[in-house]
Amino acid sequence: MKTSVGASWVMGITLGLLLTNACRHSEGGSATTPPVAGFPATTAITAAPLGQVAGASGNVQAFSITNPFEKNPQAIEQGKQLYIKMNCAGCHAYNGKGNMGPDLTDTYWRYGGLPVEIYKSIEEGRPQGMAAWGAALPPEDIWKLVAYIESFGGSVSAKDYEHARQGDQPGEQVAPEVAEQKP
Amino acid sequence: MELTAQADAGSASLTGAKFNFAPGDPAGEWHSPAKDYANTRYSTLNQIDTGNVSKLRIAWTFSDGTEGGHEAAPLVVDNTMYVVTPFPDVLYALDLTKTGEPIKWTFKPNPSPMAKGKACCDSVNRGVTYIDGKLIYNLLDDHTVAVDAKTGKEVWRTKMGNVETGETMTMAPFAVGKEVFVGNSGGEMGAWGWIAALDVVTGKELWRAYSTGSDQQVRIGSDFKPFYEQFKGKDLGISTWPAGMWRHGAGTVWTWVSYDPELNLIYYGTSNPSPRVPDQRPGDNLWTSTIFARDAKTGMARWAYQTTPHDRWDYDGVNENILLDLPIDGTMRKALVHFDRNAYAYTIDRTSGEVLRASPFAYQNWSTGFDMKTGRPIVNADKEPHPDVKLMNVCPPDLGGKDWEPAAASPRTGLVYASIFNLCMDLTDNKVGYIPSTPYDGMNIRRFPAPGGNLGEFMAWNPATGKKVWSVKENYMTMSGVLATAGDVVFYGTADGWFRGVDARSGKVLLSQKLGSGIIGQPTTFLGPDHRQYIAISSGIGGAATIRADIDAVKPSGFPAGGNTLYIFSIGGDSITADANQSTR
Repeated sequence: MKTSVGASWVMGITLGLLLTNACRHSEGGSATTPPVAGFPATTAITAAPLGQVAGASGNVQAFSITNPFEKNPQAIEQGKQLYIKMNCAGCHAYNGKGNMGPDLTDTYWRYGGLPVEIYKSIEEGRPQGMAAWGAALPPEDIWKLVAYIESFGGSVSAKDYEHARQGDQPGEQVAPEVAEQKP
Repeated sequence: MELTAQADAGSASLTGAKFNFAPGDPAGEWHSPAKDYANTRYSTLNQIDTGNVSKLRIAWTFSDGTEGGHEAAPLVVDNTMYVVTPFPDVLYALDLTKTGEPIKWTFKPNPSPMAKGKACCDSVNRGVTYIDGKLIYNLLDDHTVAVDAKTGKEVWRTKMGNVETGETMTMAPFAVGKEVFVGNSGGEMGAWGWIAALDVVTGKELWRAYSTGSDQQVRIGSDFKPFYEQFKGKDLGISTWPAGMWRHGAGTVWTWVSYDPELNLIYYGTSNPSPRVPDQRPGDNLWTSTIFARDAKTGMARWAYQTTPHDRWDYDGVNENILLDLPIDGTMRKALVHFDRNAYAYTIDRTSGEVLRASPFAYQNWSTGFDMKTGRPIVNADKEPHPDVKLMNVCPPDLGGKDWEPAAASPRTGLVYASIFNLCMDLTDNKVGYIPSTPYDGMNIRRFPAPGGNLGEFMAWNPATGKKVWSVKENYMTMSGVLATAGDVVFYGTADGWFRGVDARSGKVLLSQKLGSGIIGQPTTFLGPDHRQYIAISSGIGGAATIRADIDAVKPSGFPAGGNTLYIFSIGGDSITADANQSTR
C-alpha cells in the first residue's frame, strides 16, 4: 500500500493515546475491590499451554488459575466499559454473540474457555484477526475483561476444565426451521 | 408469498428502456459477474421460458468444502466453468465437456489467515472476471491475482493494501480492455477507501483514487463538473470532516463497477463514513456514500453524487449502477439506475449526475422526503442517533433497504428486478476511538422486520417512473443477485434456501426449488457444449444475511446451516454427457 509510512505513524500516535486512556481508566472511576490474593503471577500464566502437554495427561496446575475479579460486579461493569472502549464489541458484538469474531457466550472455545485461556487469548492475540492487548492493557484490565466475558455464562470455570476438554457437557436442542410454503 | 400488484402481461416493454450489450460476450457464455459493462445481468438465452421453467431440475452439483457466505457468480468461458470460494479464495475450473464436469484445475492463492478475522461481514468473495485469457480476482488479504484460464497458473499478483490495518478486498474486479478496476473493503475498520486501475497484462497499478482527502488524492481536477452545489469547492474530501478524520473515514469501494463505452466513464459507489457514529464526524463527510463517475483511462472524476450526506446509519452508496437509456418525461436520457441502501431508488442522468427520479423502494423512516432542487434527502430529525441514547425503530437498518446483491434489467420488459429487504433497527451509538487492528464502529444494533413482518421481498421496478410494478414477499431475507433472461423469467434465491424463477412481467412464481443452504449467490446462465441452456447458482448462507446472529428476526432458531454447493439446473435435469463434446457453439 502506498501509504504505509503515514499509516504506521498514525498507528503509533493512536496506540499512545490508547495506552494513556487505558491507564487513566484503570486509575480512575469507582474503586474496584482489590483481589484478595493479588493477580496471578506472569510465570503462572505463561505456564498454561495452548494445547495438551505432550506425553502427559491429567491436571495442569496453570489451568486452575482463577480470575481474581470473578463475579465481582464492579469489575464486570468496568470490563464491560473496556469491552466497548477497546472495540471488542465491533468484532464480538455488544452482547458477546459474535460477528467478525467468535461467539463468546457459547461453550465452543477455539483457544480454550478457562479464565487463564481467555486471559491469554486477549493478552497474546490469535492468528485469525484477534489483536494482542498485552502491551496496551495492564493485567488488571485484562482480568476485568475476562470477568465480563465470564458473566456471559459460556466460559468454563477453572474447576471444570477437564470435563470441558473432554466434551463432558450436555447437548442442546435447537428449534425447527420455520416452514415456508411453496408458491 | 403474496403479489402486491399485477403488471399488464403483454409483450411490450413497459418503459422503453434500452441498453448497450457491450462488450458483446458470446450469448452462451458468462465472462464477468455483471455479464456486460452496463451491469444488466441480462441473458439473451431463451430456451428456458415462462412455459417450461417449472420443469427445471438439478443437473449436477459441485461442493467446494469451504465455510462462509457464497456470494460469487459462476462464470463460463470456452466450455469451462469457473467458481471462486469464500476465504481461502480457491478458484476451480470445471470441464464442461466431460461427463461429471470434473475439476480441470484448482488454484490455491494462499491468502493470510489473518484476513478472515478482519472482514466485517463474513469472509466472502463476490467473484472473478475473465479478460484476455486470464481470470482476475481479489483475495481477502488485499492482493489482486491474475490466473491463466487454460492452465490455472498465477500470472501476476499485486499487493493492494495491508490487511493488518483492517483493510480487506471482497469485490469482483471489473475489466475494460487492458484495464481492470479493483477497490477495498473495511468501512467498519476505519480503512481509507479507494478504487484503483491495474494493467490487465502486468498487474501494475495505473492510478488510484481515494474516496476522502485532497482533490489530488480523490483525483478531482478541472474536468470535475458535479451537478449540485454541495459538491462544488476545493478539497471537500477534507473540509467536510473534523480535522484529520477523513484519513480513517472509509468510503471503501466494495461492490460493483459499470462502464459506458461511449462516454468512456466508469461508475461506482463508496461506502459509509467511519466511524459509524455520526456525532464524532460533523459535516457531510465527502466523498463517502457517494456515486462517482470517472474517466476510465485517467481515473479523474467527472461528477459525483452523495446519496446519504453525513451518513448516520451505515447506508453506504456502494450498490450497483445499471446503465439504461430511458425515456423520462418524453426525452430519452442516458441514465443510471441505483437502488441505494438508504432505501431510495435513483434514476440519475449518467452524463451529468442530475437526479431524475428518487423514490423509496423499501420501507424507510429516516427521511421525510427528497428535495429535487438540491438533490438532498430531507432527514427526519427523530431518527438521528446520538451517543448513549437508545433510538427505537429506525428503518432501514445498517444493512439497508437493499445490500450489495445486484439487480438485473430486461430490455424486453424495460424493468429492473431486485432482491430487497424489509427491516428496521433499534440503535444505540457508542463513541469509539480509532485503534488499528480493531473495528471503528460504535453501532449497537437490534434488527427486526419492518411493517408486514416479512424480512425479504423480490420486486420489479419501473426506473422511468420510479415506481414498483410488482413484488413477491419473502419470510426470510432476500440477499441474492438476480438473473434476467430473454425467456422472460427472472431468477433469485432466499436466505432460507429457496431458488425461484418468476415471470418477468406478472411476478408470478413459476419455479421454487429448495437448495441445501441459504442462497446469497448470483445466478448466471450459459449454454453447455450440448447447446442446452443451464442455470447456475451457489448455495451457502453467510455474509450480512446472518451477521449479528443473536437477532431472532434475521436468524431465527432453526435457520438453515451453512453450505458450499453450486447447483446447475436444466429442463428435466438432463446433464452434459461426453458424447455431446463434438458440438460447437
